[in-house]
Amino acid sequence: MEKVRSPLGRVFIHLALILFAIYSLVPFFWTFLQSFKTLKDANSRVPLFFFDATWENYQELWLRAVPENLATIMFFLLAAVVILICLLVFARYMPVRNWIIYLFVLAAFIVLAWSVPQILETAKFYDYFINTLIVTIGTVTVSITIGALAGYGLSRYAGYVGVVILIAALGFRALPRLAFILPYYWIGTATNLLDTRILVIITLVAVNQPFTIWMLRSFFMDIPRELEESAMVDGCNRLTAFTRVIVPIVWPGIIATALFSLLLAYNEFLLVRLLTQTNWTLPVAISRFTGGEDPRHLTLAAASAVSATIPIVLLILFFQRHLVKGLAAGAVKG
Amino acid sequence: MPRKTFYQFMAPSMIVMTLLMVIPLGMAIWLGMNFMTFSNINDPQFVGLRNYIEILTDPRFWQSFRFTVLYALLVVPATIVVGFTVAILLDQVGRIPRGIYMSLFLLPFIIVPIVGTLMFKQLFEPSGLFTYIYQTLFDTRFRYNEISVKVLIILYGIWYVAPFAFVVYFAGLQTLSQDQIEAASIDGASRWQKIRHIVIPHVRSLTILILLFSIMDTYRVFDSVFVLSELNPIYKADTVMTYTFQTATLVQRLGKANAMAIITVLGIMVVLIPNLYQAYKEQMEER
Repeated sequence: MEKVRSPLGRVFIHLALILFAIYSLVPFFWTFLQSFKTLKDANSRVPLFFFDATWENYQELWLRAVPENLATIMFFLLAAVVILICLLVFARYMPVRNWIIYLFVLAAFIVLAWSVPQILETAKFYDYFINTLIVTIGTVTVSITIGALAGYGLSRYAGYVGVVILIAALGFRALPRLAFILPYYWIGTATNLLDTRILVIITLVAVNQPFTIWMLRSFFMDIPRELEESAMVDGCNRLTAFTRVIVPIVWPGIIATALFSLLLAYNEFLLVRLLTQTNWTLPVAISRFTGGEDPRHLTLAAASAVSATIPIVLLILFFQRHLVKGLAAGAVKG
Repeated sequence: MPRKTFYQFMAPSMIVMTLLMVIPLGMAIWLGMNFMTFSNINDPQFVGLRNYIEILTDPRFWQSFRFTVLYALLVVPATIVVGFTVAILLDQVGRIPRGIYMSLFLLPFIIVPIVGTLMFKQLFEPSGLFTYIYQTLFDTRFRYNEISVKVLIILYGIWYVAPFAFVVYFAGLQTLSQDQIEAASIDGASRWQKIRHIVIPHVRSLTILILLFSIMDTYRVFDSVFVLSELNPIYKADTVMTYTFQTATLVQRLGKANAMAIITVLGIMVVLIPNLYQAYKEQMEER
C-alpha cells in the first residue's frame, strides 16, 4: 500500500502503534519493576513506580548464600560471557577456521556453567537453568539433524509415499500433546526412564518432528535440483552432495528452523511437567512460584519470570530477521 | 530421487515418529479402554468403553468443553481483527521504526507461555497495576471469581496469539502487487475501498490459515489456563485439556484421561480432515 502522506495521519499511525506496543509490554514492564522491589514495596496497594531497587530477589532465587565479594565475581562472570559472545559474533572476521572458534566457545561455556557452582553456592534455580540448557540444546541438535535429512528427502522425492508422510505429519502436528504424553508417562514408568533428561529430549524431538520437517522441507524446495545434480556429476554421492552443497545454501533456513525448535523446547511445560519429578526445566520450576498462596512468592515469581525471559529477549535481538523470515515462510507457504 | 535413497534419508525421522507418535496414539486408544490409576499402572483392568460413557455423562467435562468453545469463539476473531489492523498500520512506517515495533510486538508470542501468564497475573495481584486501576475506576475491589478468571484467561489468549496473526498478515502484505493498488488509485479508490477490495481478498488464504491454526491451538490451550485456573479449583475455569490433565494427575484416573484425550483427538479431526484432504490434493498436484 502507498504510504499516508499527511503529517496528521502519520502522527495518528505512530500513536496507534505505540499504544499497541504499550499494551504488549505492560506485563513485562510491571513484572520487571516488581522483581526489583522489596516485599513491602511490592505489596503496596498503590502501585509504586519510584522505589529503592534491590537485587535481593535475584540473589534469593539464584544463590543459597551470598558471598561478600559477589560484585567482583559477577563482574568477572559477566565479562567472560560478553567476551565469548563477542568471539561468536566476530568469528567470521578472524584468521582462524570458524568451527575451531565455535568449538572453543562451546567448550568455554560448558566449563563456565560447570565452574559457577564451584565458586558460588547456587540455589536450585541454577540447576533448573542448566537442565533447561541441556534439554533445549539436545532437542535442537537431534531434531534438526534428523529433520533436515527427512525434509530434504521429502523435497526431492516425487512418489506417493512422500505425500502421505507429509499429510500424516501435518495431522500429527495438529493433535493435542496430551494424547501422546499420557502414553509417554506409561512408557516412562515401564522403562524406568521417568524423570531423566533423555526421556524428555527424545519425546520433545518426536512431538516437534512434524513441524521441523515441514518447515525445513519448505526451505529445501527453494533450492534448484540442478545444484546437487551437478555436484553428483562431479563425484559426490547423495549424502555428500547434501552436506557439502545443499546445507551451506539453506543454512539461514536451518537457523530459522532451529530457532523455532529451540523456542518450542524451552517453552515446553506440559510434557516436562508430567515426565519429571525433580529434573525440571524452567517453565515447570517457575510454575511452582505461581501456584502457592505464599505472599513471599510475589517478588520471587517476578524475578524468576524476568530471569527466564532474558535469554529469549537476547535471542530475538540477535535473530529477529531469521525469526520473522521463518514465521513468514512457514505461514505464507503453508 | 530413487525410492531407496528416499527411505534412507527418511529413516531416522520415521523411526522416531513411529515409535513416539504413531504407537503412543494407538496405546492411548488402548489405555483409554482400561481402568488404570497410579497404583495398578502395570496391571490395568480392561473395561471397554466404560471410560467413554463416564466422560460423556460427566457434567464437568461438558462444562470444560463449553468454556473451550467460548474461548475459541472470542479469542480467534479478536486475534484476526487485531493482527490485521496492526499489520496494516505497521506497513505504513519506515524501515527502522518497523524493526523496533516488530521486536516489541513479537515479544508476547515468543516468550515462555508460563512466564507470560505469570507476568499477566502479576498485574492482577492485590498489589498489581490493573487491580489499582480497576479500583480507581469502579470503586470496588478486583476479586478472583469464576467470571473474572475466565475473562483473564481470554484476555491473555488474545494478548498471546495476536502477534502470530500479525506476523502472518504482515508477511502477506509484503507480497501485495503494487500495480493493482496504483490502478485503483488512478480510478480514484479511497484508502478504505482499497483495503476492502484489494487487500482483504489478497490475504484471504492467509486468514483461512490463521483460522485453522488458531482454532486448533485454542482447542489445545493448556499452559495459561493451567496457571490461572490453579488459583482455585472452585473457579471452574477449566478447558478440556486442563481437565484431562487433572483427571490424570489429581484424580489419578489415567485410563479416563487417555479416553478424554482420544475424544479431543476425534473432535479436532472434524475440523482437520477436510483441511488435510485439501492439503493432500495440493501436494499431489504440486509434485
